[in-house]
Amino acid sequence: MISSPALMIEARAVEKWYPNGFHALRGVDLYVHQGEVVVIMGPSGSGKSTFLRTFNALEDFQKGSIVVDGIEISNDLRRIDAIRREVGMVFQQFNLFPHLTVLDNLTLAPVKVRKRPKAEVERQALDLLERVGIVEQAHKFPGQLSGGQQQRVAIARSLCMEPRIMLFDEPTSALDPEMVQEVLAVMQELAREGMTMVVVSHEVRFARQVASRVVLMADGEVVEVAPPQQFFNNPQHERSKQFLSQIS
Amino acid sequence: MASTAPLVVQASLLRRLQKELFGSRVDGLLSIALLAALLAAGLGFFRWALFQAQWAVLGANSTLFAVGRYPVEQQWRLWLLIGLLALATGLSWGLLRAFPGSGGVRALWPRNDHWAAAILAVLALWLPMALHLTPAIKVRWWGIFALLLLARWAAGRYGKAIPQTYRRLFPLLWPLLYLVGMVLISGGLGLVQVPPSEWGGLLLTVLMATFAILLCFPLGVLLALGRRSELPLLRWGSVIYIEFIRGAPLITLLFLGQNILGFLLPGGFSPDRVWRAAWVLTFFAAAYVAEAVRSGLVAVPAGQLEAARSLGLPMPLALVHVVLPQALRVALPATVGQFISLLQDTTLLSLVGLLDLLGTARTVMANPMFLGKNAEVYLVLAILFWSCCVALGLGSRGLETRLNPHSPSAQKA
Repeated sequence: MISSPALMIEARAVEKWYPNGFHALRGVDLYVHQGEVVVIMGPSGSGKSTFLRTFNALEDFQKGSIVVDGIEISNDLRRIDAIRREVGMVFQQFNLFPHLTVLDNLTLAPVKVRKRPKAEVERQALDLLERVGIVEQAHKFPGQLSGGQQQRVAIARSLCMEPRIMLFDEPTSALDPEMVQEVLAVMQELAREGMTMVVVSHEVRFARQVASRVVLMADGEVVEVAPPQQFFNNPQHERSKQFLSQIS
Repeated sequence: MASTAPLVVQASLLRRLQKELFGSRVDGLLSIALLAALLAAGLGFFRWALFQAQWAVLGANSTLFAVGRYPVEQQWRLWLLIGLLALATGLSWGLLRAFPGSGGVRALWPRNDHWAAAILAVLALWLPMALHLTPAIKVRWWGIFALLLLARWAAGRYGKAIPQTYRRLFPLLWPLLYLVGMVLISGGLGLVQVPPSEWGGLLLTVLMATFAILLCFPLGVLLALGRRSELPLLRWGSVIYIEFIRGAPLITLLFLGQNILGFLLPGGFSPDRVWRAAWVLTFFAAAYVAEAVRSGLVAVPAGQLEAARSLGLPMPLALVHVVLPQALRVALPATVGQFISLLQDTTLLSLVGLLDLLGTARTVMANPMFLGKNAEVYLVLAILFWSCCVALGLGSRGLETRLNPHSPSAQKA
């Protein structure tokens, strides 16, 4: 890259201790530029989900600094809400609102937070549902959908806020194998459109095809950062080789 | 084949009864003894109710039971209020059927409604006769009943024609009616003041119960949220309040409110005894409602709040739109259970000298003219309270089904 695009996430020397004293993040750095897709891998307990969740302040941290889309994360609640408006998050367990229809799941935040007119948001929501291929389920409740459909609704729900960054926390880990592909296809489409994405996932094929860079974390530290071809074909660190041999 | 089918059903029912009641010799003896005892008790009760009991005590004191010593020349205000209540009930009932919601009953006149209307009709026609009320009052009751059914019919029939914008405002009718009712009962705005000390009977009981139910609910929700707050002051304040109230019997708190509060409050400022009791009831029930709501909050997965917050919803919006709707659904049965015991707890007011339904009953039974009529009076009071509690329970079941079309309990009901 010749002219470097804007820096969307800038995490410097982030350290976190859990209240029980566990040192979950030990000085982690990560820079994500606009339009990049960064896939974070690592064994369980390596701190990768915790790290991801610090980007929209779902987890706090004790040392270091994180700047998201030009806003530094601090204890100021208004700033945190401002960041969360621009950062979409997709969870392992979908976390759809079970008491609202699919359509209302999508429109709730844009109407209540961005104060946009409901009719306009509903049109946009139906467009998004069309794009993720479940527009015919718009008036059902989440409990009536399959896991893969629910996760696609969750992605559409985040997109309805028109975020500048999307975070994915193991989006396919809770899915039956035959539903993984439909969710990955939506994410792949999103990446092609230029969305900035940080994905915690073990989907090697997705990382190979879509990722700009792969990050390997272990024991609360970043072990290796490399483009996917290099990372999967020629890992530099012993820990990376060990991890790759375990998941393949 | 078709002609034998009912016989088979009957035979199997008989066989089942035979098997369950007379399966062995001991079973048979027990069944016979129990049936005989039940029969004797039932016969005894009917003999008493039809030939020995003197129901005149109720008819002669019906006004006292209904409104206590509310001034006769002001009672038209209460009649007006009952009329308005009947109108609002009929309208709400009809609209609920016209717009059944996602899980409700579909028919405009489902079978349960036929039953409800029939029971109401029997009560409205027969009770005024049985109580030997004056013709003028009989006619009023019949008119009020007709008004209710008419409103029910009209709202069911023509409710769909009302534009949505007005229909949305309709639930506001009830809080509005409550305020109107308070003015009608207590006076003000040009009406003669009727101090709370002159309210009594069913009027006082219903007033205390609705006041406490309406206020203890929001208070309980706030306490439950406070107890789960991250702010230590809020959390410990809520915990101490809830545990203090739950650690004291209601009767103690009522006496505290009646006798001690006057010394503690600055001179001159001392609310009426009736209102003091109402607030004690409210604060008491709020602590229990808070625990019911807290159980609902615990049942909502943490991911729900995380998802709402990461969509940019600030905490209050996330609570109102995401967490509380789910929590309150879970907490609904337990909360209504609290409302029912609150209704029953209003009878304790008679112990601190207020003339609620039970207090009125005690003064009536102390009247030399009606000495020894305790059984008649208590029986009617019991039926009255029982019906109110059953109505609350049925209402809560209906609400649950309406709110939560996908819950297992809703599908069973």
